[in-house]
Amino acid sequence: MAQAPTSVGKHPSALRAGLDAVYLAAAVLGAVCVALICALMVFQSLGREFGLNTGATNDIVSWLCAAAAFFTMAHAFKHGDFVRVTLVLEKVSAKTRRVMELVSLAIALVAVAYLAWWACRFTYQSFEFNELAQGLLPLPIWIPQMSFALGSVLLLVAVIDEFVIVARGGVPTFVRLAAERHAKGDFSSDI
Amino acid sequence: MDILTIGGILLVLMMVLLSGGVWIAMTLAICGWVGQAFFTSTQPGLNLFSAFWESNASWELAALPLFIWMGEILFRTKLSEEMFTGLAPWLNRVPGRLFHTTILGCGIFGSVSGSSAATCATIAKVSLPELTKRGYDEKIAIGSLATAGTLGILIPPSITMVVYAVAADASIIRIFLAGFLPGFLLMGLFSGYIAWWSIRNKDKMPPPEPDTTFREKLRLSKNLIPCALLIVFICWSLIAGWATATECAAYGVMGALALAAYSRSLTWANFNEALMGATRTSCMIMFILAGAAFLTKTMAFTGVPRELAAWVDSLNLSPYSLIACLVVVYLVLGTALDGISMIVLTAAVVMPMVQKAGFDLIWFGIFVILLVEIAEVTPPVGFNLFVLQNMTGKDSNMIALAAIPFFFCLVVCIALVTVFPQIVTFLPDLVMGISK
Repeated sequence: MAQAPTSVGKHPSALRAGLDAVYLAAAVLGAVCVALICALMVFQSLGREFGLNTGATNDIVSWLCAAAAFFTMAHAFKHGDFVRVTLVLEKVSAKTRRVMELVSLAIALVAVAYLAWWACRFTYQSFEFNELAQGLLPLPIWIPQMSFALGSVLLLVAVIDEFVIVARGGVPTFVRLAAERHAKGDFSSDI
Repeated sequence: MDILTIGGILLVLMMVLLSGGVWIAMTLAICGWVGQAFFTSTQPGLNLFSAFWESNASWELAALPLFIWMGEILFRTKLSEEMFTGLAPWLNRVPGRLFHTTILGCGIFGSVSGSSAATCATIAKVSLPELTKRGYDEKIAIGSLATAGTLGILIPPSITMVVYAVAADASIIRIFLAGFLPGFLLMGLFSGYIAWWSIRNKDKMPPPEPDTTFREKLRLSKNLIPCALLIVFICWSLIAGWATATECAAYGVMGALALAAYSRSLTWANFNEALMGATRTSCMIMFILAGAAFLTKTMAFTGVPRELAAWVDSLNLSPYSLIACLVVVYLVLGTALDGISMIVLTAAVVMPMVQKAGFDLIWFGIFVILLVEIAEVTPPVGFNLFVLQNMTGKDSNMIALAAIPFFFCLVVCIALVTVFPQIVTFLPDLVMGISK
């Protein structure tokens, strides 16, 4: 997760390292959710054999599934996993490409800010009205929804982070990391 | 405003954003927002929240990260190296000999991995040097690898199929079952072409390997047996209805971990990389699904798909000409988009149209997946071409040319599946009963 000197610009390195650690920590949390889904599904199918009532597992699995995606968004964005059409970007000059990257990031910034705002607002609303989940597990729904609120805010931070990097003349991290992977012959991130 | 005009405006906006390089998931959501904010009286913020939350907090979707994880684990084992040594002795007497290792290898690896690029890269890394070392024609080897790599998305369990099932609201198991026969058919076509080519070009074929005894053959391929058992186990539990798709995926992960431990490639680093990679990939796909879910809501509010379906219906196209038009649309989309984005993007609009024309959504899923396979091997952005270009250092046009005969095998497969839809529907209907 170390940044190349070109993209650091005038960032203090403590901030850089801190942000990257937060993205990674959130993604690790997402990965733990995936591992838990696997364990719970095995538990459920075994439990059914032995006549255990595992009805609430389905609710928990669906919340974990959401959390796995939301917590990982910022890290996956920086890592270059989010797909986009690069047909035009790869054809234009370096200067035009930089402008296009900036415009794309600006659009992403507005869109993700809007998403994060509503994610937080509705999660807060669920908290305020103490809304319960409509499943077999009547947990206050704001608890699982926190993954959405936190994940989208973190994605917003990551988009701002990238915008600043490109605005200062750096190469976007998502472009650099994807290029490094492909150069090593690693295509496991590509579907 | 005319409903179809609204659809047109959204389409133009989407094309501008996409070609400008805005992330696909965000583009879908932005178009959804514009549609709702300007052309309906609903509250886009509320819908955005519920679309993102409901599409991701889904028990059925939990199969997605697990199937990806399974592939990621096996991708990091020695399975790919064993694939060549294990398959080669059995193919010595078949016309085309070791060329078939590419097709079979991709077929087997494709069934455990859901990714076309990973399948292509993994099998190519091992087979290509071995084949060229023995003097096999490089062009055929590269062409077959480029195209057979796409078996990864056709042979179940496939990630693309899970995405289609979620987008089309179809049963994951049903579409998995539907993929088997077309997958075998396609493998048969590829192998058939290789056999035909090698009979016609006897002078270009290297001499066969020294014969081995049956016992020796078994010894060489003994490492493939656990993997084969895992595949059979997963397929069987789907067919027998023992487990749901998500449970099946969880057992697949367990099996893959056991396999990795057995082959001594289960290190802490491998485990971490596989899990993180799977989490990132599924996050990417789920982000697209969430954006598309929001756009789908917009479509439902504005009524564009209904209107479009009615319009297409009023044209009185024959089913085949509708399919022909859709082929053109998907091939055009395929020049710029990846398979998953293509499926998710078109789900909201194309599926009502297809259903209204009387096509089975399961059949259509397999049909679209075959079209995606074509898109992976056609320039300018055929991803498999890019993968092989990186791995071999050859020009991508040369690779595309080498893939042409195999490309025609795909076309023949699509034609057969269209004329005989039973190839797709037979197995799911047999196992799960005929769908309504």
